Amino acid sequence: MAAVSVIASGASVASAQTAGTAVTGALDPPRSPRNASYSIDARLDPATRIITGSEVIAWRNITTKTVNDLQFHLYWNAWRNDRSTWLREAALGGSKYLNRRDADRGRIDITSVVLVAASRIDLTAARHFIQPDDGNRDDETVMAVPLPRPVAPGGSVDVEVKWTAHVPRTWARTGAIGNFFFIAQWFPKLGVLQDEGWNCHQFHAGTEFFSDYGVYDVRLTIPNGWPVGGTGVERERRDNSDGTTTDRYYQEDVHDFAWTTSPDYLERTARFENPPLPPVDMRLLIQPEHAAQAGRHFDAVRNTLKFYGEWFGAYPYGHITIVDPAYQSDADGMEYPTLFTAGTRWLVLPRVLTPESVTIHEAGHQWWYGMVGSNEFEDGLLDEGFNTFSTARVEAIYRPNNLALRYFGGFIPYVFRDIALSREIDRNRMGLYRAMPKSDLTSAPSYTFFPSRAARNAMTYAKTALWLNTLERRIGWETLQRIMSTYFSRWQFKHPKPHDFFDIVTEVARRDLGWYFDQVYRSSNVFDYGVQDLTSTAENGRFLSSAVVRRYGEAIFPVDVLVTFANGDRVTEHWDGRDRWKAYTYDRPSRVVSAVVDPNRVLLLDINYTNNSRTLAPRGREAATKWSLKWMVWLQDQLLSWAFFA
Amino acid sequence: MNVKKGPYPFFAAWGDGMRRVNRAPAVLLGVWALTVLISLPLTATLRGMLRDHLGESLAADTAASGVNYDWMQEFTSQATGVGATFGPAVLGFGAVVDNLSAFIDNDRKPIVIIAAASAYIGLWIFLAGGIIDRYARDRVTDAHGFFAASGVFFFRFLRLGVLMAVAYGLLFRYLHPWLFNTIYPRLTYDLTVERTAFLIRVALYAVFGFSLAACNILFDYAKVRAVVEDRRSMLGAAAAGARFIWRNRGAAVGLYLVDVALFAIVLALYGLVAPGAGEAGWSMWLALLVGQLYVLGRLWVKLVFWASETALFQGRLAHAGYIAAPQVAWPDSPSAAALGS
Repeated sequence: MAAVSVIASGASVASAQTAGTAVTGALDPPRSPRNASYSIDARLDPATRIITGSEVIAWRNITTKTVNDLQFHLYWNAWRNDRSTWLREAALGGSKYLNRRDADRGRIDITSVVLVAASRIDLTAARHFIQPDDGNRDDETVMAVPLPRPVAPGGSVDVEVKWTAHVPRTWARTGAIGNFFFIAQWFPKLGVLQDEGWNCHQFHAGTEFFSDYGVYDVRLTIPNGWPVGGTGVERERRDNSDGTTTDRYYQEDVHDFAWTTSPDYLERTARFENPPLPPVDMRLLIQPEHAAQAGRHFDAVRNTLKFYGEWFGAYPYGHITIVDPAYQSDADGMEYPTLFTAGTRWLVLPRVLTPESVTIHEAGHQWWYGMVGSNEFEDGLLDEGFNTFSTARVEAIYRPNNLALRYFGGFIPYVFRDIALSREIDRNRMGLYRAMPKSDLTSAPSYTFFPSRAARNAMTYAKTALWLNTLERRIGWETLQRIMSTYFSRWQFKHPKPHDFFDIVTEVARRDLGWYFDQVYRSSNVFDYGVQDLTSTAENGRFLSSAVVRRYGEAIFPVDVLVTFANGDRVTEHWDGRDRWKAYTYDRPSRVVSAVVDPNRVLLLDINYTNNSRTLAPRGREAATKWSLKWMVWLQDQLLSWAFFA
Repeated sequence: MNVKKGPYPFFAAWGDGMRRVNRAPAVLLGVWALTVLISLPLTATLRGMLRDHLGESLAADTAASGVNYDWMQEFTSQATGVGATFGPAVLGFGAVVDNLSAFIDNDRKPIVIIAAASAYIGLWIFLAGGIIDRYARDRVTDAHGFFAASGVFFFRFLRLGVLMAVAYGLLFRYLHPWLFNTIYPRLTYDLTVERTAFLIRVALYAVFGFSLAACNILFDYAKVRAVVEDRRSMLGAAAAGARFIWRNRGAAVGLYLVDVALFAIVLALYGLVAPGAGEAGWSMWLALLVGQLYVLGRLWVKLVFWASETALFQGRLAHAGYIAAPQVAWPDSPSAAALGS
C-alpha cells in the first residue's frame, strides 16, 4: 500500500498544486513539428502481466519524399525468441540476459491496423516484418504496413493500431519484477521518415531509440491505489467500477512515452526555482527503503536544471518525474521525456556520488536526447557522449567526491578517503576508454559497434566526453559553452547529425577544427605523447641540455612542451605534434630538471600520461617502495586469510 | 604442569592460551618472520613493476607524496600477474575489507597469489606440530625441540591436510556455489527490496561461516589431540577431536567464539589506526610499522586459537590418568610430560 506524503520543509519545496503556475503538459507556441502524435488507451493486468492497448497515430509527412508504407518499431519482440537480432548480439557481447525462462520473455502482437479516413481501411493482413539492418528473418522488431495510397510531402494519415503485449521480466530497462512495473518502448511506434526513406532500425542490443516529436495523450488503466508516473502531466484520474483506475497523461513536444506503477512507491514533490530559468515541479517516486535519500535526488535534479539550463538552454516543460526503480529491476539509469529512472542503493555514504551521479546524468538526458532528438541508433555519441561530458561538469561541484568500492556481494560500500575522483579523468570515464580505445570507429553507426557494454560505452560515453573536454581545454569553456548552447538552440526538437555539431563548432569558434574531428571522430587512432629522453651535461660552466619528445600514438594533436631548469627557469615550447619525434636543445647556465609534454593536460585522450614527463631527479624508486610496502600489508592480510586453512 | 581435573572453564582456557602465547614470543616472531619472508619476494617483484612503470616520470612525485589515482589506473590497465592485484584496496583498512570480502565471497585470485598462499599454508603445516607442542608443554623447548616436533608432526599433518583439503574443498567448491549461486538467486529472484536481499545474504554468510567454523574447530582439536597424545592416525585424531568437542561442546564453542571476538577486536583496532596513503619517507615506514603490528596482532590471535584450545583440552583431559607415564624425555607426548611433572 503506497504512502503518499509531501516534503513540507524548505523554502524552495512545494507541491505541484501550490506552485502557482498550472503545469498542463501543453507548450505554446509548439516547439516541434508534432508530426507523430499518439492517443493511446492501455490496460495493465498485473497478474498476467498483459497490456492490452489501442492507439491512434496522427502522422504527417514532413519530408520531401513520397512514401508508400508505414514502418513501426515493435521493440518488445526483441525478446520473443533467442534468434532475434537483439539476443544474437547480446550473446555475442557476453550478456547476462540469456537463457531466460519463457514466462520472463516479452512480446508484442499486433491485432489490427486500420487506416482511419473517410472510411476505415483494414491493413492488418498486409502487415509484415522487415529486417532493414541485417536481414535476420527471425527478427520481428520492425513491422511494415503498405498504404493503399502514397502519402506525399505535407500529406498526413491517421492510423489505428491495436495490440496485446506480454510484459517481460525487466529487459533493457523495461518490464516487471514483483509488483514493480516500468513500461518503456512498449507501444507500436513509427520510425522516422527522412528524405532518404524510413529510418526504422531493428532493435539492437547495443543501441537505443529514435522517433519523431508529437503530442502524447495516454490513458492508462491500472489497479486502484497504485501510484503512476508517466511522461507528461496527469490531467485526469478516474476510478472504475472494476477496481481499476484510469490515469490520463498528456504531453506536447516529446518523442516517446514511458510509465511506471507499483503499489510500493512513496511520492515526494519539490520545486526548482532559479530565475530567470522557468520553475520546474519535481515529482519523485521512491522506494521506501530509500526514502531518506529523497533530498539527495532533488538536489541533484536542481543542480542539473540549473547548470544545464544556464549552459545550454532552459528546460521548458515545467515538470519532471524522477523514478527510483525497485531493487533488481534493472530499470535504473534510463531517460525518457520528462521522466527518468535514477538508481541508488540501500546503503549509501556521504562523499560518494550515489545517487547523484546517475540522477544528474539521466536528468541531463532531457537536453541530449529529449530536446535535441539525435538518432541514438546511429549517433550514440550525441546523446550519451555529450551527456557524460555535461554530467561530469555538474558533478565537479560536489566536494568531496571519493572513490568507493562495494564489497560483500556488492552490498557494503567502502570509501577510500585518500582517492578523490576528478572530473577530467574519472568522471569522463577514462578507464573505460583506456581499456579499449580502438574497439570501434566512432563515426560508424552506433548499432554496428561491437555489442558489449564495455566496448559500446568506451566509444559513445567515454571517448566523446574526453574529446569534448579536450576541446574545452583547448578553446576555452566560454567558447565551447557558446558552441553547445548554439547547437542546443538550433537543433532542439529536431534530429541533428554529428556534422551539424561540427559545423557549429567551426562557425562559433571561428576556426576550422575539422582536423580535430578527423582524429577523434573519424578515426580510431589513439593519442600517446611522451618524453623519450632528457639529458644535461656540464661544459665550461654551462649546461648542454636536451629533451627528446615523441609521438608514440598514431593520432596527432598540437601540444606544449614545458622544460624546467634547476634555477627555476621554465621554457614552454609549442610542438605541432606531427613528427614522430622532436628534440629541443638548450645551452644555459643551469641544468635541466624536467620536461613535460602537454603539462596542462589539455589532451585528455592521451592514453598513457605517465610517459609524458621525465625528470633528472626521479622519485620512481621512492614511490614504488611506498606503494609496494602498502601492497605487502595487503598481501600479508591475504595470506593470513589463507592461514585459516592451515 | 598440573593436569586439572573436572570442568575447566573455557574462559580460563582463553586466558591461559593468551598467557602461553605471550610466554613464547619467539613463536610469534617466528611466524611473523615467515609471513614477511613469504611476502617479500612478491613485494620486490611488484616494486620492480611499479618502478619500471613510473620510470623517471614526474607522475612518481604525486605517487610518492600522496595518491596518483590516474597513474594507479594506468598501471593496472596494463599489469599482469602480481601487478594485476595492485589497486586502491591496498590503502589502509581497505585491504582488510577487500580480503575479508574476497574470502567470504570466494573470489578467484591470481595464480601467483594462490602459489604464495599454498607455500604459506605448507609452512604453517610444517610448523603447526612444533607450535602446538610448545604451547602444550608450556615451557621452553628450544629450537631443536621445536623443529623436531615440527618434523615429527609434519607428515601426520600433511595427512590431516588431505582431510582438511577435502572438507574445505567441499565447502568452497560445492557448498558456497550452492548457497550463493543457487539458493541466493532463488530466494531473491523476485525480491525488490535490497535490505531484504542483504539480510538473506547475511543469513547465508552465517550458514557458510558456521560450516567453516565447524571444520576449523574440528581440525584444530584434531591437531591438538595429535600432538598432546602423540597420535599417529589422523583419522583417529579427527574422530577424537570430534568426540572432545561433542563432550565439551559448550566450552569448545564458547572458547571459539571468544577467540573470534579477539579477532574482531584486532580488526577493529586496526580500523582505527590503519594508515592512509601518506608520503614516501618516514611516514611510509611508520605506516609499514603499523601494518606489521596489525599482522602481528592477527598472528597472535591465530596462535591464541591453538594455545587456548590446547589449554582447554589439557584442562579437560578426562583420560590423562590412563596414559602410561614413561620416562620424560622428548619426543614423548606433552601428556606424558605433564604426568611426569
